[in-house]
Amino acid sequence: MSLLGPISGALFYYIAGGAAALAVTAYIIKMRRRRFEVPFSALWKRVLEQKDVNSLWKQLKRLISLLLMLLIIGVVLFSALDPTLGAVDRKARSVVILIDASASMKSTDGDDEGKKTRMQVAREEADKLIDSMGGGDIAMIMRVDNQTTPLSRFTSDQPMLHKIVHGVTDTRDPAEIPGLPKSAQPATSAEDNARRAQQMLQSGVNASDTPADLTRALSAAADALRDRPNPLIVLISDGAFPEQALELVTFDKPKPVESGSGSGSGSAKPQPKIGQGSNVPGGLSPTLQFNMKNLATVDLSGVDVRYIPVGKKSENVGIIAFNVRRYIANKAAYEVYIEVQNFGQEAAHRELKLYNGTTNVNTLRIDLAPGQRLKQIYTNLPGSTENKLSAVLAPVDGPGGSDTFALDDTAYALLPVRKKQKVLMVTTDNLFLEGALLVYDNVDPAKVSPEEYKAKPSLADGMDVVIFDDFTPEVLPPPPASLLFFHPSGENSPVAMAKNDINKPHITEIDQGHPVMRWVTMADVFMDRSSAFVPEARRGESCLSYAVRDCLVAAKRDGKRKVLAFGFSLPASGRDSATDLPLRVAFPMLLVNALDWFAGDQSDLLTTYPTGTRERIPLDGAVGATEAEVKGPDGGITRTPVVEGLATFYGHRVGFYEVAAKDALGKVIARIELAANLASPTESDIAPSAELTLGGKNGKKLEAPEKFAITHSRQLWIYLILFAMGLILVEWITYHRRITV
Amino acid sequence: MARSSAAAKPAISERANRAADRSELFDDKFLKTLEHLHMVSRKVAQGNLRAERRTRKVGSGIEFADHRTYSRGDDFRYIDWNLYGRLDKLLLRLFEEEEDLYIYILVDVSDSMAIGNPMPKLHYAMQVGAALTYVGLANLDRVAIIPFGDRLVDRLPPSRGKNRIHRVFQFLRDCDIGGKTELADCMKDFVAMNKRRGLAVVLSDFYDPKGFEQGINTLRYNKFEPFVLQVYDKREAEPHLHGDLSLVDCETGDIREVTISKSLLEQYTQAHEAYCKELESYCTKYAIPFFRTHTSIPFDELVLKIFRSGGFLR
Repeated sequence: MSLLGPISGALFYYIAGGAAALAVTAYIIKMRRRRFEVPFSALWKRVLEQKDVNSLWKQLKRLISLLLMLLIIGVVLFSALDPTLGAVDRKARSVVILIDASASMKSTDGDDEGKKTRMQVAREEADKLIDSMGGGDIAMIMRVDNQTTPLSRFTSDQPMLHKIVHGVTDTRDPAEIPGLPKSAQPATSAEDNARRAQQMLQSGVNASDTPADLTRALSAAADALRDRPNPLIVLISDGAFPEQALELVTFDKPKPVESGSGSGSGSAKPQPKIGQGSNVPGGLSPTLQFNMKNLATVDLSGVDVRYIPVGKKSENVGIIAFNVRRYIANKAAYEVYIEVQNFGQEAAHRELKLYNGTTNVNTLRIDLAPGQRLKQIYTNLPGSTENKLSAVLAPVDGPGGSDTFALDDTAYALLPVRKKQKVLMVTTDNLFLEGALLVYDNVDPAKVSPEEYKAKPSLADGMDVVIFDDFTPEVLPPPPASLLFFHPSGENSPVAMAKNDINKPHITEIDQGHPVMRWVTMADVFMDRSSAFVPEARRGESCLSYAVRDCLVAAKRDGKRKVLAFGFSLPASGRDSATDLPLRVAFPMLLVNALDWFAGDQSDLLTTYPTGTRERIPLDGAVGATEAEVKGPDGGITRTPVVEGLATFYGHRVGFYEVAAKDALGKVIARIELAANLASPTESDIAPSAELTLGGKNGKKLEAPEKFAITHSRQLWIYLILFAMGLILVEWITYHRRITV
Repeated sequence: MARSSAAAKPAISERANRAADRSELFDDKFLKTLEHLHMVSRKVAQGNLRAERRTRKVGSGIEFADHRTYSRGDDFRYIDWNLYGRLDKLLLRLFEEEEDLYIYILVDVSDSMAIGNPMPKLHYAMQVGAALTYVGLANLDRVAIIPFGDRLVDRLPPSRGKNRIHRVFQFLRDCDIGGKTELADCMKDFVAMNKRRGLAVVLSDFYDPKGFEQGINTLRYNKFEPFVLQVYDKREAEPHLHGDLSLVDCETGDIREVTISKSLLEQYTQAHEAYCKELESYCTKYAIPFFRTHTSIPFDELVLKIFRSGGFLR
């Protein structure tokens, strides 16, 4: 028998002594009695005198009662020490059960019949583990996908651990549920965290659509087990982890980094051979590489790690890449890239279907040899009103026509929305400007003279873009029309002007990060004169092009519209200024970029991301917003922070997402659609690993599950409490039957 | 463990108040019951029990009493010539001398008599006493009522005729109650105050710490005919108690701390029964009519039982 209770010996003796003293005192102190009138106490006197003959027996009965009470106290206190039978041969273990909840665990090959998913089998294995807990074993359950989520604290409460694994219907606030961690996820907000925790609690451990990050999981488990007795990690997984993650583990205590241990230190100690197998840049010094390797490696020294494999089959064909883009020259058309791989050991056959919305754009039968990777490009696909594309691997009849992992059989992509922009040019005849716009397919140009505009500013109503060529109006077109100025002047200039013009400026620097300046070079552009702007960042103004320190091209976000201003004018009849910009390739590029920027269309904007990665997405127009709403594929809404116009995006489910920033009144001020796909060859390679080796070639092979067995033990406290209750019952009965009175 | 103190004596309790309230004790229904008892008593007197009561004096009454052998000087008029004819012996006919019978109803009004359920023993004893008084008055006996506790509380002088019954009721309603039971002292005072011998009906629970013998002996020694009626309550004979209690004597205030157990209760019941048997044995030993009753038995039933057993009705 062992005593596993939390009470120390000294404390136990104090409590026992105190309780015994209290019990004895209770027997010594005089009892407060009820008064009762009798007509003739002499009769009672007679009886009691006779009874007093038996006073010794009476005292003895009280003594028996006292001893009974002391025995009850002793039993209760002894049960508090948690006496346990059958656990003498080992001490209590601290167990972290890592349940792989990555996408591959959705594969329906948990059993030979294909009726269970790997996730279901993993939950059953977790149940067996929990049931085999005994003695003072305590366990914590962690859900492992791209993020590691502790679902419980260390506890020996087996029913609660079962509930966490399988989920419960509990309508309470998650914060009120004992055992549930306060912060289960790196939350974007408290409500999201609570909602996610509630979902997890209700649904149990379920597989997500993200790959598993084993390194993070092992690190979290090791951290949780730090300073705990007999640490043990049990990994329940299909073993679909990248080799790199398996290698970044050490079971030996890492050697401390010695200061000054470089090649020139002259130390006689041999330097560790480092850099092999690591992904650190080769250009780094050996010492730095060593440090980085140490930092990335998970230290599992002293921790017993076991592995329970799940999964039966390895046949799978999955889409590992899917993207779409518009042509730069012809934004109405687009091309699609799909990459499919057969991860199985046998030939596979599928139908690859491409949909634009619900319209089937293309169907292609593909036959893939074992391990073959197929790259398919669809070019010059015509545009349509739909912008949601999906690629589907449909099963075909016959052997090798289907697989057990459906998640990577569908991929999603978004085509940036594009429409023709209405552009009004306010100019006297300018051949360069008009010519450039006329050859651009995506605009619907119109032209008025400055005089006509002055007379009737409403001519600009309904326009998407208004270009003021060497003319600065007093009345600006109403938003959301974006504005493009060439050589603005005076007080009505959209960006504050410097007092003096610059003669023959040379452009020395451009902001290539700005969409307008993308692919544009202006290094040797000639101009005989230009105005200079004085942009102010606090008003949303920025400079795109400098002549040394003078700003020649400025951009500005003015509420819902954007403004772009060039300090120089384009050559035209009647103007004395001259520039060769219109004669360069940069000019139409500038115009196209400007129009695309005005339309919110960025050619290099990625809208398709892999699940499980955290991305920073430019949220165009989200000025002043600090938070955005993310509507997921399941319709659930979460919140994500927005910093400097960049929203944080984390796709944990495959499908389409919508990120929208709202102003204080709740009106959407910026919105973007995104798609998330599994796109992980590691996850699509669902071949289960029967055995797992951590720490590289010289690492440790995790023991087979059959060797893992937690000693069964029997806790006695419940029986002791029942015994104490029985004694109390006996005492109660004997007291009220006047046997021990 | 017993201790006694004045402070420990319970104040006037609900029990005492209930005993003090005697306004509804003698109503019309009660009076009708008494009349019925009277009728029944006449039948009983004319039946089996005729001439049971013997007058100690033999005189010139009209009621035949006995014969005795003729002696010289006896009046020839009383010689029973019929018997002389048959037996050839001279026997003289004796006649009872007619005299009033004195009946003294002694009612215990001590504190212990206030206990009882459904009615206090005091009320029960008063009703029985009133019933016996009524029958006595109706038989033209002289009936007196003397309540007693630790002393003779009051006295309703002997009177005759059933028209006096209302005065009896009023007396019993108004008399003071309470105090300890001092049977010996009270009987001593009683015989000193009443020189005419007669039937002394003692209605009491006889819960006297000094014993009942001396009191009854006082009556016997002074030529009174004691008639003992012990009244008790079933709850006091077989109390339903449990737990740890402080038992307070309602008369003396003595406190006795006990833990009631089943065996203790059984012992008490046996002790109570033994006490009652002790009283009964004493009365039997000295040929004193003795009746024991508890308050659950209707008083008229008890009275009839008394009539039937003889000793009270002439």
